[in-house]
Amino acid sequence: MSAVKAKNGEMIVFKAVKKIYNLGAENVHALDGVDLNIERNEYISIMGPSGSGKSTLMNVIGCLDTPTAGTYVFEGEPVHEMDDNQLASIRNRKIGFVFQTFNLLSKLTALRNVELPLIYANVPREDRLEHAKTALEKVGLGDRMKHKPNELSGGQRQRVAIARALVTNPSIILADEPTGNLDSKSGEEIMKIFDSLHDAGNTIILVTHERYIAEHANRTIHLLDGKIRVDEKNNIKKN
Amino acid sequence: MLQLFFENIRIAVSAIFSSKMRSFLTALGIIIGVLAVTLMGTLISGLDKSFEKSMSMLGKDVFYISKFEWFGNQDYWELRNRPDIKPEYAEKLVEQGKYVIAASPQSFRMSDMSRDEKSITGVSVIGTTTDYMQTSNTTIEKGRFLTDGEHNSGSRVAVIGYDVAEELFDNSDPIGENVKIGPYKFRVIGVVEKQGKFLGLQSMDTQAIIPLGTFQRLFSRRGFFRLSVKVDKDYMEEAEYEVRSIMRRIREIRPEEPDNFAINKQEAFETTYNSIKLAIGGTGIFITVLSLIVGGIGIMNIMFVSVKERTREIGIRKAIGATRNVILSQFLIEAVLICLMGGLTGLGLAYGLSFAISKFLPSTMPISLAIIAIIISLVVGIMSGLVPSYRAAKLDPIEALSYD
Ligand SMILES: Nc1ncnc2c1ncn2[C@@H]1O[C@H](COP(=O)(O)OP(=O)(O)OP(=O)(O)O)[C@@H](O)[C@H]1O
Ligand SMILES: [Mg+2]
Repeated sequence: MSAVKAKNGEMIVFKAVKKIYNLGAENVHALDGVDLNIERNEYISIMGPSGSGKSTLMNVIGCLDTPTAGTYVFEGEPVHEMDDNQLASIRNRKIGFVFQTFNLLSKLTALRNVELPLIYANVPREDRLEHAKTALEKVGLGDRMKHKPNELSGGQRQRVAIARALVTNPSIILADEPTGNLDSKSGEEIMKIFDSLHDAGNTIILVTHERYIAEHANRTIHLLDGKIRVDEKNNIKKN
Repeated sequence: MLQLFFENIRIAVSAIFSSKMRSFLTALGIIIGVLAVTLMGTLISGLDKSFEKSMSMLGKDVFYISKFEWFGNQDYWELRNRPDIKPEYAEKLVEQGKYVIAASPQSFRMSDMSRDEKSITGVSVIGTTTDYMQTSNTTIEKGRFLTDGEHNSGSRVAVIGYDVAEELFDNSDPIGENVKIGPYKFRVIGVVEKQGKFLGLQSMDTQAIIPLGTFQRLFSRRGFFRLSVKVDKDYMEEAEYEVRSIMRRIREIRPEEPDNFAINKQEAFETTYNSIKLAIGGTGIFITVLSLIVGGIGIMNIMFVSVKERTREIGIRKAIGATRNVILSQFLIEAVLICLMGGLTGLGLAYGLSFAISKFLPSTMPISLAIIAIIISLVVGIMSGLVPSYRAAKLDPIEALSYD
């Protein structure tokens, strides 16, 4: 299929990935030649100044966006060659996205929001409800299933969003500034959930501006002008 | 697949019902379109039925010879100078015509009828001969029809219409009883079976048939006559030719001169009727097409608005795995559902109105038309929903997510 093959254990392999936005006169290099390997059960934080390309990187990893140049292999599959439907299918089955602004559907209850990815995965109704309930219980919202987003606090909303990201049992969970809209207390609660998800074997990447949030992860990548400047293991493990 | 379909229907229903007024206004064009097409169909089917019934009163095999054409537009002066039709022609037509089965002259007059305290106004009194029984397809319900003897002797006997009998006699037997037509006393010898209205207008049941001789003696000697000529229905063309020739011979018309009488047939009604039907149908179709086009454009517009308003939602759905086709069908189903609901509403209204129509026309809404109306609303829904839905489907997930 592709010349680029993933080694065993390697989940994500980026080779010279570029994302260039064409703004008429000038080109914006949001990603400017990124090489990156991510293995199963890694817990990575991405940092960098505003405009350095963190969100762009997350979107490309999350198959919401495709690279302008370079290759991206996800679990052995060449994402850079995929069409729209294949990308949608990867997003649905393999990726759980958590956004800064929650991005819940306001008219649906927590349960229905969490159920949604399973509908697109064609999971039968009963299984769907069971999985969605389990996911909500995991994030501590077993008693808020029938609530709509506007009846929930910011922290609770983000937990619904995490449950939605979890419900398909994805290969990786991507969170772009998940605590950015939350007070520090709710932020900490959210980070506890990510920590426990990691402990349970999930692979997690999160974008953050805060050092203390980044320290939850055991690997930190610093971006600047679309390039990886620092990629280091966190020695001081939190707790 | 089926699950996704149901999910999309659920989404569409909630979208439609969360802004009921907007959905209703959007569907208005479709409602009117479907209403127009079904009402038109109901009306035409009703007219057809009543027309058919009325035409059977006239009879396919009966010629009506009179001074003027029924739907003619000849020169007034030419018509005015035509000689009157005389009752004697009837006998000659029967004598000379090979194809003529029966012929009766008729003269008409409106009059009141009464019996003791009871009375009925606006009765059409027909003076005619025995042959009328055959030429008019009249069926006697009770008693008997006129005889030749009564015609010749000028007897004061009458065969009365169904409504007249009911009005003057309630439930008692009218046969042998006396009634008054105008100031004159008549004996009832028969009652005609119920016939209904001719073309929904003139009741055929408020009539009284009396011998022509009596009619002439009492009401008018030189009345206005019409001849009804029943001919062999297997030789209609020959019969018409023959009747025309006999009439021309009686009238002594030279070969180069045109007829100075008219042979009217049921067909004349049909031609006129068909053009009326065409006008109704044309108007109905025009209104239908117009409102469907306007309605379709309206739906397309609302769908564009809906897609725009829900850009973020589309982004979210795509981010968690909705494919283009899923989004496409989501919005397409919404458009189709609006049209379908509009169509059903229109159909419901038309069904209600068809009862109102059936008060004066024996009409029913044709099932085929209801099905066509539903198909039309489906097609309009698909056509007007396709472009907005396609636009929604090909939205870029990231752009859609950052839209506000
Ligand atoms: N759709 C777009 N069109 C043009 N340029 C874009 C687009 N999206 C992002 N960019 C540019 O790409 C660069 C990287 O953007 P990105 O959103 O990835 O930054 P970020 O690191 O997430 O910043 P922040 O911390 O503010 O969220 C920026 O210079 C931005 O202006
Ligand atoms: Mg960002």
